Amino acid sequence: MSMVEAVQLVKHFGATPAVRDVSFAVEPGEIFGLLGPNGAGKTTTIRMLLDIFKPDSGRVSVFGGPLDLAGKRRIGYLPEERGLYKDQPLEPTLLYLATLKGLDEAAARRRLKDWLERLELSDHRRKKVQELSKGMQQKAQIIATLLHQPDLIVIDEPFSGLDPVNTRLVKEILDEQRAAGRAIIMSTHQMHQVEALCNRIALINAGRAVLYGPVAEIKRRFAGNAVAVTGQGDFDHVPGVAETTPENGTWHLGLEIGADPQAVLRTLLARPGVKIERFELAEPSLDDIFVTVVRDKSAQPEVAHA
Amino acid sequence: MRNLWLVARHEYRRTVLRRGFLIGTLAVPVGLAALVALAIIVETSGQDQRPLGYVDQAGVLAAVRPASATAADDQIEVRAYSNVTAALAALEAGEIQAFFVFPADYRATLRTDLYYLEAPPATEVWGQFDDFVRANLVAGLPADVQSRLLEGPAITVVDLASGREFSEQGIINVILPVAASFLFFITTLSASGYLLRVVADEKENRTVEVMLTSVTPAELIGGKAAGLLAAVLTQLAVFALAVVAGLVVAGSYVPELREAVMPWSYLGVMLLFFVPTFALLTAVMVAIGAALPDVQQGQQIVGLFNLAFMAPLFLLTVILENPSHPAAIFMTLFPTSAFLTISLRWGLGVVPLWQLALSWVLLVVTSLAVAWAAARLFRLGMLHYGQPLSLKTAWAAVRGE
Repeated sequence: MSMVEAVQLVKHFGATPAVRDVSFAVEPGEIFGLLGPNGAGKTTTIRMLLDIFKPDSGRVSVFGGPLDLAGKRRIGYLPEERGLYKDQPLEPTLLYLATLKGLDEAAARRRLKDWLERLELSDHRRKKVQELSKGMQQKAQIIATLLHQPDLIVIDEPFSGLDPVNTRLVKEILDEQRAAGRAIIMSTHQMHQVEALCNRIALINAGRAVLYGPVAEIKRRFAGNAVAVTGQGDFDHVPGVAETTPENGTWHLGLEIGADPQAVLRTLLARPGVKIERFELAEPSLDDIFVTVVRDKSAQPEVAHA
Repeated sequence: MRNLWLVARHEYRRTVLRRGFLIGTLAVPVGLAALVALAIIVETSGQDQRPLGYVDQAGVLAAVRPASATAADDQIEVRAYSNVTAALAALEAGEIQAFFVFPADYRATLRTDLYYLEAPPATEVWGQFDDFVRANLVAGLPADVQSRLLEGPAITVVDLASGREFSEQGIINVILPVAASFLFFITTLSASGYLLRVVADEKENRTVEVMLTSVTPAELIGGKAAGLLAAVLTQLAVFALAVVAGLVVAGSYVPELREAVMPWSYLGVMLLFFVPTFALLTAVMVAIGAALPDVQQGQQIVGLFNLAFMAPLFLLTVILENPSHPAAIFMTLFPTSAFLTISLRWGLGVVPLWQLALSWVLLVVTSLAVAWAAARLFRLGMLHYGQPLSLKTAWAAVRGE
């Protein structure tokens, strides 16, 4: 049974469509990336999953049915930035949020002690949230999300404000949660984190799911849509190339969907002043795929499949 | 229900531990204590306790003290002198603080002369002498007539419709409800203003998103309102205790305060109106907090709404001059102004039962309607960041579109 199933979700704000026919499923024990540019409809989709918004049409199933109070208690949600009472001390705030999730105060207190120690916030537990650094606030929010041991974790930009050490720590925590069989829906713009963590993704653009499936499969699908070129000359504004990025002496060319790498090579060789030393098909990064798909106005919505 | 209780408890603790709330709560007892101390100091140490003298050339005084004062040990001594010269000598010697002369034609003119050196006797001392004179003037009359004359008139106004009575006796029992209603209302306005800040803050901080994944909007708003109501009642209980303690202590020194009795009927009616008024205020604040993008914009709008609740204060002179003026009746029936108007009118006369009943029904119906609309606005408005809800959108939300 899927932890979450979204079927043909549609949501409008007035006459503006925010989400159009989005479908996907999230399984236990996986990290699912919900990606898309700003304003694509990710947050609206998340809010419909969490029953904060009602969809205009379509269906959301969480833990095998409509979301009720018992279901809500099995969810941990970390919204993008903020989300805690700024003028309240950290420890009682986290205890309060945990008790609202059905945890009794004594159990919440025991668990909180461990989490505060692990995330190095013990010494700050009596401080008001607004007195904590941005990174500390983010770690506090992660505790608030996980303290009641939810089965479904929904996190929006979990690495925001974290230094490399804490980023690694949070990645470890997310890996542990996945290993424990929990389902994680992660929304982020940090594509390298998606590549490192996510099993599957859905890319939403302009309210539509334009890419959906396992990360490895998507990367295979887009192989050939990028080439690595070493040489001298002007590699910008090449027909069929969506984006040109220099990387350690090598030019990384993200190709438009349907563009032929051989045609790109011929165009480059025909350019005056261009010398090619190396030209090879590259496995595209998720970043390349993201840019390619988002820029491609003709990209068609993907039919949901696991 | 558990979540409602948890939200209410959290909101109560959060409110009562605020510095502003603590200062506001303690300010009244501290202020009262200072007033009582001042009254006691004035009453005990600032008063000249030397005897008063009199020269009775009209033969009207027989040195009779009023019955209620004969046993009191805080009564000023009154000394009779046979002539003005002897009285003047006593005054100059500092044996008495002042003396009155009742001339021979006193019964015809009712005129007396007062002699003093630096300052006339204090009001309290003068009052005691007046009582002394009155007791002597009626000394020859039967005891029951004496007692009736000394007590003065006791006028009781009865509302024929409701049978309610209003007595003019004991001015303190008139002043207390009016003063209490101001305190009551300012406390409530302040608390509801705080609710606006809390709602707007949660919207700005996006805490509401986290909250709505744990509780329903009804539990969230209901819990906040309940917690805040408990905090307001706590504050009022502290005020009430301070007032009672102040009256008990000050009553030992200030005789007028001994007449004060607890205005139970007033408190009962006000409590009946307080709950729906609080609900109405709460609903208005929730709607404003949810519809506007930040606290500052919310507070500007709240100012306008507060005017609707404080309107009776702008027509205070009209209400004081004629508590049954059409404007006063209109404000009694209008939901936002009902609480304060009734409270003010209560101390000044009888508010007819039909007005109380109709006003309460209108208030309750309005509160329920506004709370219902606010709940609908809340769900949409709390997730509408950065810009205010347009009137069109707000109206559509209320209609459930």
